[in-house]
Amino acid sequence: MKIPHSLFSRRVFLNSLIGGWLAALGAAFISPFLKFILPPTREPDQVSVPLAEVKDLAPHAAKAFSWGNKPGLLKKNDDGSYTAFVTVCTHLDCNVTFIADQRRFYCACHEGWYDENGLNVSGPPPAPLRRLAAVVEGDAVIVRKPG
Amino acid sequence: MNVLRAWIEERLGLRAVTGFLAKKEVPRHKHTFLYYTGSSILLFLGIQIVTGVFLAVYYRPTLAEANTSVARIITEMPFGWLVRSVHSWSATFMIAFVIVHLLGIAFTKAYRKPREASWLTGIMLLGASLAFGFTGYLLPWDELSLAATKVGTNFPKAIPVLGAFLSRLMRAGDDVTGDTLSRFFIFHVSVLPLVVMALLGLHLFLVQRHGMSIPLQEERKNVKVPFLPFWPNFVFREAGVWLVLFGLLLTVAVVFAPGLGPQADLMAPAPEGVKPEWYFLFMFQALKLFPSKILGLNGEMIAVLAMMAGFGLILLLPFIDNRPFDRKGRVITGLVWAGLASTVAMSVWSLL
Repeated sequence: MKIPHSLFSRRVFLNSLIGGWLAALGAAFISPFLKFILPPTREPDQVSVPLAEVKDLAPHAAKAFSWGNKPGLLKKNDDGSYTAFVTVCTHLDCNVTFIADQRRFYCACHEGWYDENGLNVSGPPPAPLRRLAAVVEGDAVIVRKPG
Repeated sequence: MNVLRAWIEERLGLRAVTGFLAKKEVPRHKHTFLYYTGSSILLFLGIQIVTGVFLAVYYRPTLAEANTSVARIITEMPFGWLVRSVHSWSATFMIAFVIVHLLGIAFTKAYRKPREASWLTGIMLLGASLAFGFTGYLLPWDELSLAATKVGTNFPKAIPVLGAFLSRLMRAGDDVTGDTLSRFFIFHVSVLPLVVMALLGLHLFLVQRHGMSIPLQEERKNVKVPFLPFWPNFVFREAGVWLVLFGLLLTVAVVFAPGLGPQADLMAPAPEGVKPEWYFLFMFQALKLFPSKILGLNGEMIAVLAMMAGFGLILLLPFIDNRPFDRKGRVITGLVWAGLASTVAMSVWSLL
């Protein structure tokens, strides 16, 4: 039935109303599942590497550590300070390896190269390696997110 | 016996089905061999289900035990190496036959009206088969499978808008971890089988509904195409094909049993020679070839969008080539050849 001057019939109105309710109900049922399948991801606020482990490194030598679920690398600089990298390729997330005698990072997945400062120099990587802030505090090197 | 049969018939009314199968006919021409590709896929699917259930009896999908449980299956369990080898090789055979099946249909234009829905469900089944292969590759949890999974789950990130969500959904977070392994396992043994059963049911129903498509070349000859009764003639021929394929599969599985790499270490650098399964090699090579920047745009995003566009074109083929069945479709044939040649060339190149 359609009332004169009405834009739609009573049937269309009721169908849309009930359809809308059902869609809202469905969304309410689905949203907890969508939340459930994505676990909360935690990246560490900071990681502490004992100074004793890296103190004796020669300049340009490096030591691996764990940055949460990702591998990290602590490299000694010429002036005795440290630089920390997340050693995950910026192309497709493979773990890269630091080739100490060539002072370069290498990703075996798609032949990507970074120089010792983490700059992408050759191959598919689109960006430099991610850097973390590393400072010596007491008898540990504290690695934090930069900034 | 007859009483039992009558009892069942009275309750289930299966005569409609058996009557249909008794009358079903298969056209006979020089492309009849293409009809065997579908049933061969079913053979390998059946083998996958049986060997998969057996493997799942001993397999443990956890970070600590995945690799060692596979090692236990292939070294300690009686015939465990064979069950695993058959499962691995049957996957390869199945995907190979899925591809041949698809190419046969594309070349003979069997996707045209009224069989568009058969094509759509078929392409979805191809997608599900590839998803089976991708999730199964991680389960042995060795160095190579971890690196390949990292690449494979990172690569959707380049899809605009939805990409980051998809990648996190596949990985269970930002990184590939033990949660990814459990997720891949449950997809491999529960979600994907249900999806495949539903799609396959529809696909097979549609094939029966429309009957076998007769290639255009045969219909043009203006002679009536001879038919072969499905039962028993065609079924017996299929049984012969199945026996040969089963023998071939067993031989290959015994002679070339796959090994198992060292346990994956989330912190270790990616090993040399990371390669996905052969059916993903062309994508792997494309990712390697695309530079990081193309005209200032993200090269990876362009690569992903190009592949999605390609997959979309294949999926929508019946609607792109929606001409009547009596048109030859030389352009489509040429495009299929070109696509096949470039995919094979890229795959071979990645092995050099």
